[in-house]
Amino acid sequence: MKILIAISSKKHSSKTLDVGMRVAKAFSAKTTIVDVGDKINQFSVKEVGIAQERMESWDLDRPGVDVLEWAFDFLSKNNFIEKKEIDAGFPKNTLIERGGRRSEVFLKGTVCDDVSLILRNGEIIEELISEVQKQVYDVTIIGKSQNSKKDYELTQYIDSSIFIVNNYDASRDYKVLLVVDDSPGTKKAIKYSVRIAQAFNIGIEIITISKNDESQENYKFATEWAAKFLRRNNISFSSSFEMGNPIDIIPEKAGKSHIVIMGSSSRNPLKTFFRGNKSLNVLKKTQCPILIVK
Amino acid sequence: MFGPSNQLLNNLLFWVSRKKWLITTFFISISIFYLPTPEGLTAEGHRTLIIVVTALILIISESIPIPAVALLILIMEVVLGIDTPNGVASTFMSDAVFFIMGSLMLAVAIVHQGLDKHLALMIVRLTGNKTWKISFGFVGVSAIMSSFIGEHTVAAMMLPVALSLLKNSGISLDRSSKISTLLLFSIAYGCALGSIGTPSGGGRNAIMIGYLSEFGLANISYLDWMKYAYPMLLIEIPLAATILWYTFTPEKKIMDSAVRKLKVDVAKSGPLNSDQKLSIIVFTFVFIGWIFLSPKIGLGIVALSGVFLYLSFRLIEWNDIASRMNWGIVILFGSAISLGIQMKDTGAANWLAQSFLDFFQLFVTDMTVVSWFFSVVLCSVMTNLLSNAATVAVLGPIVLDLGVDPIIMGMATSVASAFAYLTIVASPTCMIIHSTGLVKSRDYFKAGWKLFIVSIVLLFLISFIYWPILS
Repeated sequence: MKILIAISSKKHSSKTLDVGMRVAKAFSAKTTIVDVGDKINQFSVKEVGIAQERMESWDLDRPGVDVLEWAFDFLSKNNFIEKKEIDAGFPKNTLIERGGRRSEVFLKGTVCDDVSLILRNGEIIEELISEVQKQVYDVTIIGKSQNSKKDYELTQYIDSSIFIVNNYDASRDYKVLLVVDDSPGTKKAIKYSVRIAQAFNIGIEIITISKNDESQENYKFATEWAAKFLRRNNISFSSSFEMGNPIDIIPEKAGKSHIVIMGSSSRNPLKTFFRGNKSLNVLKKTQCPILIVK
Repeated sequence: MFGPSNQLLNNLLFWVSRKKWLITTFFISISIFYLPTPEGLTAEGHRTLIIVVTALILIISESIPIPAVALLILIMEVVLGIDTPNGVASTFMSDAVFFIMGSLMLAVAIVHQGLDKHLALMIVRLTGNKTWKISFGFVGVSAIMSSFIGEHTVAAMMLPVALSLLKNSGISLDRSSKISTLLLFSIAYGCALGSIGTPSGGGRNAIMIGYLSEFGLANISYLDWMKYAYPMLLIEIPLAATILWYTFTPEKKIMDSAVRKLKVDVAKSGPLNSDQKLSIIVFTFVFIGWIFLSPKIGLGIVALSGVFLYLSFRLIEWNDIASRMNWGIVILFGSAISLGIQMKDTGAANWLAQSFLDFFQLFVTDMTVVSWFFSVVLCSVMTNLLSNAATVAVLGPIVLDLGVDPIIMGMATSVASAFAYLTIVASPTCMIIHSTGLVKSRDYFKAGWKLFIVSIVLLFLISFIYWPILS
């Protein structure tokens, strides 16, 4: 299992990192924390590189190093990395560019496998999609972007499950809202929901929503499978069935006090390109954290 | 995760979503191709304008890599029948391209010497510890130095000086800190306004000199250029420093401890070593060569001779130059100059200039001032959206055909292309300070528009009062 956590700064990403590391711990996953810095325009790439080399010769950090250092402090404080790594301090000198605008430091993890800290520069969606394509992550965890179109685009094109840490408040009592239907991602979503529920020590509400009577039989089968699986894993749950449009019902049911977990829509990418799909439309309307499982 | 076929389709759709401008450009180009050739424009001129439009959209949108745009220009020139392969090759390489290539190599070689610590000491000795004096010093030193060795070289050397001072000042640095904004913009604007001073200040100056000579309009030497442009540079230094100070007045008016710490840090690096001294001597020879030899052997050959000396004295290794050079930009400038020459040869530049004159002559009889404003405003706006050298390469042949004194039009266009104050992408210098994460995008406009207006007014006065005296 490999998890990618995208952060941007101490101010905006502390919740994302907190949630991300809890999830990583639940899955015992090999974890990568990435900060994507601003895109450098093509006319200036080399010139900016030279300026940053000069900065390093003055022992001045290039942008982004401070963000990774903050992430390192977070990992140290919560003992997510081994003691000898903590004692050695942030290994700034090993932050070496390994081609393609990507620098990386490796740390030995404790509760999860290795933890890597990565610095990339470029347009955030392109960089995250490229990172996932090349390193093959199972889940990408990001904070809610100010520009909701970005979250939508990233979810649409990224080749991993995606967890958007939207309006997360650690003091709130959350429950998982597990959306069960007959989509291919549902079984995986059910499995993931168990880990998430364990990570946050919360219960699960299964919801099945049908637009018409035709799909009820398939949905019933999926719900029974989910119930059996949760019971086997000793997770407390309740289940409900609704008739109507999932795009309206899920955000309404979820409010701000749920973590929505749902399988990605099976609609083909071409139709999704022009008309969107169920999970993307739910994402647009949801006001709470949401995990879309692919 | 996606299945293999969906993955492929999804990747394709992602590509389409990122390359909207590339696809749009393709359709625009096809549409212009099938439009009837306007009266007065040759078929070759019509096709040349297709390349101009294609290149401009692709450069501004950055939808494909810049070197790919450069290659596309050359390919289209041949495929659209504008020139033969050998003809295109001969317009691609010129002394101006040698000069741009040589200057970029010299820049890498100079930065490599690590002279910035000595530069820092010189600045703080000159300015003392008052913040306004330091800011003024940054503008002045950046401007004077960039007029000789190119703006981004100076920006790369000045940046750690400013950041070190800021770090030592004990202020928490973020995008809202006025003192960091002030010092970083002092470097960026100082470098930008300094680049007008001599032909070696920026590749675009060499491009304009090349056009004036190639089109048989004028021969401008290194010293001639300085006589025209240097007074404007000197007047702009205090103006820029004042605008910056009143736009980003910091709370901290004295940087006493920061200056003291910087002096201590810099003192540790010791006096100039032999390589650094030799490096300065070599550059001095290059400078003397530009003044006295360039009329005979060209600015580019002098710059390349300097690089030859740096390599021969092992002041820098070829691998360092090769890996740090922006080769894509060299290819783009070569292609842009080739396109400029084709615009002239096919009559496209003349047709555009004549269309402009025909339109405005309906309203104004004396076209001198209107033509000047058209060139300067268009150039200074375009320079904020794409590379200033590419702007001059494309606009140069048009403005020189507007029927006004070519030296005034050429110099004014070239100088206006330095007014890259308004956006992050305006120049590598603006991007360098942005890459620190300490300036906000809107700060560029906040101070930039004032300096932009002041610069245009000053250029107008210089163009019509001072330059005619020299001609």
